[in-house]
Amino acid sequence: MSKQHTPQLAGLVLIAFFAIFPFVYSANDYPYIMHLLITGFFYAILASSWSMLAGYAGQFSFGHMGFTGIGAYTTALFIHYIYISPEATNLCTEYAIGDQFLIFVNPIGITSSTLTQDCLRQALEIWDGSVQVTAMPVWLGIALGTIMGGIFGLLIGLLVLPLRAAYLALFTLGFSEILRATISAELAITRGQAGIELPHLFENGLTLFGRTFDKTDKLPPYFVMFFLLLTCLGILAWLSKSKFGLFVRALREDQDAAAALGVNTTRYKVLVFVITSMMAAAAGAMMAHYIGIITPNNLMILQMSLVVAMAVIGGVENFVAAAIGAIIIEFTLELLRNSFEVGPFVVDMTIWRLVIFGILLMVTLRFSRNGIISPMIDYFFRGHVAKETVAKRATGTSP
Amino acid sequence: MEFSHIFWTVLAWMIFWAVVGSFVTRRVYLHRDLDTSSAAFVGSMLGAATGPFGLAPLWMNTPEITRRLMVLPALGAVMVIAAAFAFADPSNNCVSNGSFVASQIVNGLILGIIYGFMALGLTLIFSILGVVSFAHGEFYMIGGMVTYFVTTVWFPGINPIVGILAACLVTFVLGALFERMFLTPMYEGKIERPVEYGILVTFGLAFTLQYFIQATVGANPVKAKRFVDFPRIRLPSVEDPWLIKTSRGNMELFDTVSISNPRFMAAVACVLVLLSLLYFLHRTWTGKALRAVSLDREAAAIAGINPDRMNMLAFALGGMIAALAGAMLVQAFSWLPQVGAIPAMRSFVIVVLGGLGSLPGAFLGGIIVGLVESAGTGCVPDAQKAASYIPAYGMMVLTLTLLLRPTGLFGRRFSGGAHGKL
Amino acid sequence: MTNLVVKDLNKRFGGLHVLKGVSFEVDGPELIGLIGPNGAGKTTLTNILDGAIKPNSGTVYLNGHRTDQLQPYEVARAGLGRTFQVTRSFRRMTVLENMFVPALALDRGHNRAEINQKALEVLEFLTIDHLRNEYAQALSGGQQKLLELGRLLMLDPEIVILDEPFAGVHPRLMEVIYRYIERVNGAGKAIILISHQMDSIFTLCRRLLVLNYGDLIADGVPDDVKRDPAVIEAYLGAEEGEPDAGQEGRVQP
Repeated sequence: MSKQHTPQLAGLVLIAFFAIFPFVYSANDYPYIMHLLITGFFYAILASSWSMLAGYAGQFSFGHMGFTGIGAYTTALFIHYIYISPEATNLCTEYAIGDQFLIFVNPIGITSSTLTQDCLRQALEIWDGSVQVTAMPVWLGIALGTIMGGIFGLLIGLLVLPLRAAYLALFTLGFSEILRATISAELAITRGQAGIELPHLFENGLTLFGRTFDKTDKLPPYFVMFFLLLTCLGILAWLSKSKFGLFVRALREDQDAAAALGVNTTRYKVLVFVITSMMAAAAGAMMAHYIGIITPNNLMILQMSLVVAMAVIGGVENFVAAAIGAIIIEFTLELLRNSFEVGPFVVDMTIWRLVIFGILLMVTLRFSRNGIISPMIDYFFRGHVAKETVAKRATGTSP
Repeated sequence: MEFSHIFWTVLAWMIFWAVVGSFVTRRVYLHRDLDTSSAAFVGSMLGAATGPFGLAPLWMNTPEITRRLMVLPALGAVMVIAAAFAFADPSNNCVSNGSFVASQIVNGLILGIIYGFMALGLTLIFSILGVVSFAHGEFYMIGGMVTYFVTTVWFPGINPIVGILAACLVTFVLGALFERMFLTPMYEGKIERPVEYGILVTFGLAFTLQYFIQATVGANPVKAKRFVDFPRIRLPSVEDPWLIKTSRGNMELFDTVSISNPRFMAAVACVLVLLSLLYFLHRTWTGKALRAVSLDREAAAIAGINPDRMNMLAFALGGMIAALAGAMLVQAFSWLPQVGAIPAMRSFVIVVLGGLGSLPGAFLGGIIVGLVESAGTGCVPDAQKAASYIPAYGMMVLTLTLLLRPTGLFGRRFSGGAHGKL
Repeated sequence: MTNLVVKDLNKRFGGLHVLKGVSFEVDGPELIGLIGPNGAGKTTLTNILDGAIKPNSGTVYLNGHRTDQLQPYEVARAGLGRTFQVTRSFRRMTVLENMFVPALALDRGHNRAEINQKALEVLEFLTIDHLRNEYAQALSGGQQKLLELGRLLMLDPEIVILDEPFAGVHPRLMEVIYRYIERVNGAGKAIILISHQMDSIFTLCRRLLVLNYGDLIADGVPDDVKRDPAVIEAYLGAEEGEPDAGQEGRVQP
């Protein structure tokens, strides 16, 4: 067993641990811990995809949270406004597809004191239970959200092509802020700060292996999010091992030199935006369905700073490290929640933990630029390199 | 309120020709082998203002792009939008009410001066360290907090100038310490990508400061007492022969333009500090050294200036300027730990619009953003919507600037190093 | 057979006329020296050939395909490789990864094991194979230069432009670079060598191009060029017209 295999083995153990954990753990705080883990997986997806974007490709984008929002709002709006009905309502905008009708509900915003404004509910009242209206499936919403994330990623990727460093950061920040402002302002459609409610991932419950799960049970969303994380990590791993990973790193190091060696830098720069945006959008859509509500505050700069800090503390140039960092930090932040008293002073840890977190971020950047987890992985993968180099030099083919 | 289709049609027409103008003009200038740095900007503005009628002669003659050629189409485009707006919504306050417009413009100018002043700090930091400080809003917030505590909590009744000076001192020291502790490795070439490092580490600082204040002060809004009661200016009349009257309310000019007193005073103070800053930068040795470092680091070092010292000074000074803006405005707004976020964003917009690193650009950019925001807030028919869109107005300006003219109004190229390429 | 036809290239930067109707042709595995005083337009010419900047007028044909309007990566795939005046290795990638980038960029149904084998062979040839797993930033300046040359070999271009390969290089590494040039040239590739080191140029090259303020003032065998009054006037005059005095400086391979 060579040292190089230790990280792979540790990774397998970790995956196995997370796969078994929900079945073994049975303390009182089970739903709470499960919730933490699901949130942790969500941040892990964001942190690892951001590390691909920022760490591998060198595109320090602050718009990653915006893409989460695009995914979440796409699925929310889709499910909120579109229904399928066997009968025409003759009130809503509707299109006949075969013998079914695709119904577009009119946006009424938060002034919903009046049933009468909602064309579908009016129609339902008229039908009085004689017609069954079907909501759009959740998975289709999530898929659409992911695709929409990709489309916006393509757009942003194309727009930022000539921008570098500080300009890129500011542009993406601007994108994210415009998005947030638009969502807050367009009350009629997005319901603004009130947020849109979404159905749960398994709204009608789920029966698996003879066990029935309620829609609020944590186990199904846990595994859904876990598999999404594994899928994302798998894709990232495959990408980083393939020529894609090699090329984006080359363009991070020196765009002109990479182009002079035949790398289509434009294509890879746009592609890395598209792929990571899709991951963020998928995670956002999934998370929105799990939480059950999405508000524009989910896109705040604070959320973005969390993702950035998680990736940086884990190690921005290694997506696995970023993912592990995200899960660990999510847990540490939660564990630090307990306030305590020192003499007459109450130390409100819900805030102080964030101060500690900020300091940790700065200190990590200052003294360990590759983060905290990533050097450990590197130690196993690259620890032998120096020795090898010396050994090879000693055998003496070189000057 | 329903918005007329005319407006959207005009807007769509303008956007279409602006896009066409920006792409084709660049191509044409490139092909004719002329300077293309402003071609996209001129093309889009001319396209927006005049459509194909202005673009065709531009493409045929390809005149040299002068400042006039840049300013006039831009103004034209603004006029066209305004005209379309007036036509589409004749009953709007912005169209029918002259004094409202005057008051919006004056307020926009005053806000713009304050915005520009704050952005000045950011651009000062950038021009010397090459860092876009993401903690600028937090310095602003701390400036206000310190002033609040000194003037209202700890020593009520004390001269507000003491509070302002205390805010300056605290933030100056904070800035200097942070620069020494976290930014020094940037200059030694130890960091592969210094620009990103600078962004991330100031981001960390912002995070830390914000929550530190929230943990110590709490999340409830605080408000400082007004520093002084303000004169009330109005034209003398028969029944009231006094030109100036002291009141606590808004300042009224000629019975039409209403200005919030604290804002007016903040703007005056900003102009005064700006003048002294300009004096400092152009007349004192240290100021000249600072400018020298921003122009050419190596050459300045050879001339006997210690660039490291200047870095520290610039970062501390930049933070202090933001704090000063905060200290002046704490009497006007309620103060929260998160209060810095929007001004910080606005400062980003302004420095990019004015050209990263350009001091006059920051000031002019501030005024433009101030006017755009007051137009946006005042004229958009749905007031609630308008308020929600406030952060977006500036960001749209930013996006447009980066797409059309990334160097901004007065942009200049930096001699490389930590500033990074555009 | 390598064939590069450059016809009437013009490039202006604002008011500066950097290239004034430069035309020449490279036919077969030639070893050409491109010389000229600073500001003569050598780097601009390289950048145009490489696709990094577009000429105002004129054409470049590489093996019958027009390349002057292509992107750099397309030019690279079409068979023109270049090094940069300032070494530009991918600093935070390992030496082997550096070598893999051009090989994989070629889209030629690659086989990783084959590429690996070739990369190791090239690294060995360049005497830096013991560093294969080190990050490029750990290499010395000269070793990075060799790495850049090795990368170019992985691209396997038909024509190679070497921009100042000898600048600031230790004599022992210089010897490696000489061997490299012989190897590439021997494999039937054309080389355009840009250098200020006259001794190297005169030893290696069998044809010289002389640029002076955007004009191609001479194109011919070194002995003729040396005697060309325009060249002496513009360039060699400063060195008293005795370029072959540098001959002793050559390191024997």
